Amino acid sequence: MVTKTEESQLSRLESQVDNGGGGAWDFLCLVRKLKVRRSDKVLKHGLSILNDPKKRSALGPHEWTLYEQVAIAAMDCQSLEVAKDCIKILRRRFPGSKRVGRLEGMLLEAKGSLPEAEKAYLSFLEENPFDQVVHKRMIAMVKAQGDITRAIGLINKYLETFMADHDAWRELAELYNSLQMYKQAAFCYEELILSQPTNPLYHLTYADVLYTIGGLENLQMAKKYYASTINLTGGKNRRALFGVCLCSSAIAQLSKGRNKEDKDGTHLQFLAVTALEKDYNQRAPDKLQLLSSALKSLRVSS
Amino acid sequence: MAEDLVLDTAIRDWVLIPLSVVMVLIGILRYFVSKLMRSSQVPDAKIVKEGQLIVRARNLRASANFIPAKSFRARRFYYSNEENGLLFVPKGQAQNAQAQMFSDPNMAMDMMKKNLSMIIPQTLTFAWVNFFFSGFVAAKIPFPLTQRFRSMLQNGIDLSTVDVSYVSSRSWYFLNLFGLRGLFSLILGEENATDDTQRMMQMSGFGFDPTRSLGAEKDGLDIIQHDWALPKFEQHAESVLQKLVH
Repeated sequence: MVTKTEESQLSRLESQVDNGGGGAWDFLCLVRKLKVRRSDKVLKHGLSILNDPKKRSALGPHEWTLYEQVAIAAMDCQSLEVAKDCIKILRRRFPGSKRVGRLEGMLLEAKGSLPEAEKAYLSFLEENPFDQVVHKRMIAMVKAQGDITRAIGLINKYLETFMADHDAWRELAELYNSLQMYKQAAFCYEELILSQPTNPLYHLTYADVLYTIGGLENLQMAKKYYASTINLTGGKNRRALFGVCLCSSAIAQLSKGRNKEDKDGTHLQFLAVTALEKDYNQRAPDKLQLLSSALKSLRVSS
Repeated sequence: MAEDLVLDTAIRDWVLIPLSVVMVLIGILRYFVSKLMRSSQVPDAKIVKEGQLIVRARNLRASANFIPAKSFRARRFYYSNEENGLLFVPKGQAQNAQAQMFSDPNMAMDMMKKNLSMIIPQTLTFAWVNFFFSGFVAAKIPFPLTQRFRSMLQNGIDLSTVDVSYVSSRSWYFLNLFGLRGLFSLILGEENATDDTQRMMQMSGFGFDPTRSLGAEKDGLDIIQHDWALPKFEQHAESVLQKLVH
């Protein structure tokens, strides 16, 4: 996750470089550090540095990292010729290097010859079963082919060894969601919450999944997690506010006979509704009508 | 003795400075040699898995209050149950770790190499210092010392009336040994093989890490009481929204 200061720094550098001021190298370093995906910019500015022999020699040993970065960006933008050139230069410099081999595998993947890429990746994994990047490339490739069940199997195997990798858990959760296996997705989101409990997005998606599974207990838990999201974001997250309203009305529908939950529930719902109305008033006053009618229908059914 | 000894400047030129220079050069040499000799380590499957497992279990302990009680209990059972719990280490295996460490040829070779690269230069330099630079006063320490240090610092000087602040070159050697660490991290960058003191600390805590910390994590997990924080959050959220709305 990129913090706010880093993001502002990144956009500042980006605009600076775009408008012709210097600092291309700093921009590229920051992109590499933060692992954001700005492939077209990286490609443009990276190539401008690499094609100028003076600037290239000024980089010293970092030149090769830049080649790698530009190669990956080129593959992302489908300029396969550029990528092939970069990889050829790297291969000449570092013959027999696994890192360059990995790039070549990625090039095969980008060209679309997936079976060959798969063969290449499998051979890498045999040599070094702990190469996390190659594992992830395999999984991405299988997912791109559309074989989601196989991708899930691969990620599970990956997670058996590398169980602290929260990006992998997130990917697995999304895959389960796409297959509507919500209970398993809920488990993954719990793992994510455990590793980063102060991240409101995970609470939010967990609440969404719980709400989707349904059932009184899950709805109550979902409401609690929406509330914690509101807590963590200071009430600014509109989706959580909507979630609270929907949960409260669904709970009330399910528990028509029992009166226990009503008191706390309605207060939070009322506050959420007021907050939503105030927000819409400020930002989209023309939609306020839609909002009020939708909320009213929720309240009516509760 | 109250008067100050006047030390020949030739001592400074021919003893102190050459000794420091030689030690710096030897340190740099050791760094490059260790870089050449370093074998690429293929991480052991078990160790990687255990490391990750520990991180995951620690996360569970730290944020247990954020997930529902049922999931927490399910996870706790998964980790610490008797038959195939991940953290459960049967008693027999716990002692094997150290024996394994010494019998594993690769690891033993690695440790030996590291030891050698550390011990040999030190021994050689020490012997050289003793041979060439003993028997005279090399420097004066700026602060007064007690008599106890006499045997350590004044090794070649056999006069017992000389003030303890006047030391032999052996103490200059030791001073350099511990003091040049900062210089090396400037010249050679962070990870350099000359950091002996760190390495000595590392060696003492080596092989026990995996199995013992697994047991520790399991105990920690057993102790923990699940206190679900979410209901409180609901009330917090209400107050947050109240402030927002009014």
